[in-house]
Amino acid sequence: MAMQVHTSTIGDATVLRCEGRLTMGTAPTLRSAIDSAVTSGRARLVIDLAGTAFVDSSGLGALVSGLKRTRQVGGDLRIASPQEQVRMVLDLTNLDRILQPFDTVEDAVHDW
Amino acid sequence: MTGEYRLDTLAVPETLSLLHDLLDRVRAEHPDLEHTDLALFETAVIEIANNVVEHGRPPGTIRYSFTLDVSADELLGHLRDGGPPLADSEQQMPDTDSETGRGLALARVALDDLEYERVDDHNEWTMLRRLR
Repeated sequence: MAMQVHTSTIGDATVLRCEGRLTMGTAPTLRSAIDSAVTSGRARLVIDLAGTAFVDSSGLGALVSGLKRTRQVGGDLRIASPQEQVRMVLDLTNLDRILQPFDTVEDAVHDW
Repeated sequence: MTGEYRLDTLAVPETLSLLHDLLDRVRAEHPDLEHTDLALFETAVIEIANNVVEHGRPPGTIRYSFTLDVSADELLGHLRDGGPPLADSEQQMPDTDSETGRGLALARVALDDLEYERVDDHNEWTMLRRLR
């Protein structure tokens, strides 16, 4: 299954909605979308995972990379609406400590 | 509630979706299985297969076979691949700021038991998740 990344904006925030599985084969697509946003000066990113049915360690790597990338330039990366498998994997890898999921995209951007 | 599933394929990124398809079939044919058990088992299987794809040499030439037995009290998977021996099967979960190195550690914590053995010129992985 291919993954598609749909980009939209809410105020200063850029929302990247990932549809499909975020895995070894598709993580580069998300990395590239994050890179494009940051390069164009938009470093407040929300990764909308409502349509992401599955994430593997490569997908997690892309999220961690994006978090570091945005913070280096004074921004941030937040994740919203993860499904059950994604929540479990964040918990098992302890990544929920640095990528605390927001229930909705609106919650994620509430103080931006 | 029993069933056996099998896949034999080339270890390339394009065939990983076949494993997801296989697990989707298990999900459809065993609606009584807890979503959590199957989701974590799928997580582990994909990480092992990713490892085979990533480390197979020459790239794109290695095959693997996967079988899954579904019984009343466990999911038991076997994956056998023709890739090189694994350097470190006891990989620890890396720090949160690491971008790589989580695969096998994640597979291990998603299962009740993960065993790795080098047998002749093959790797053999046994994955067990007990059903809650």
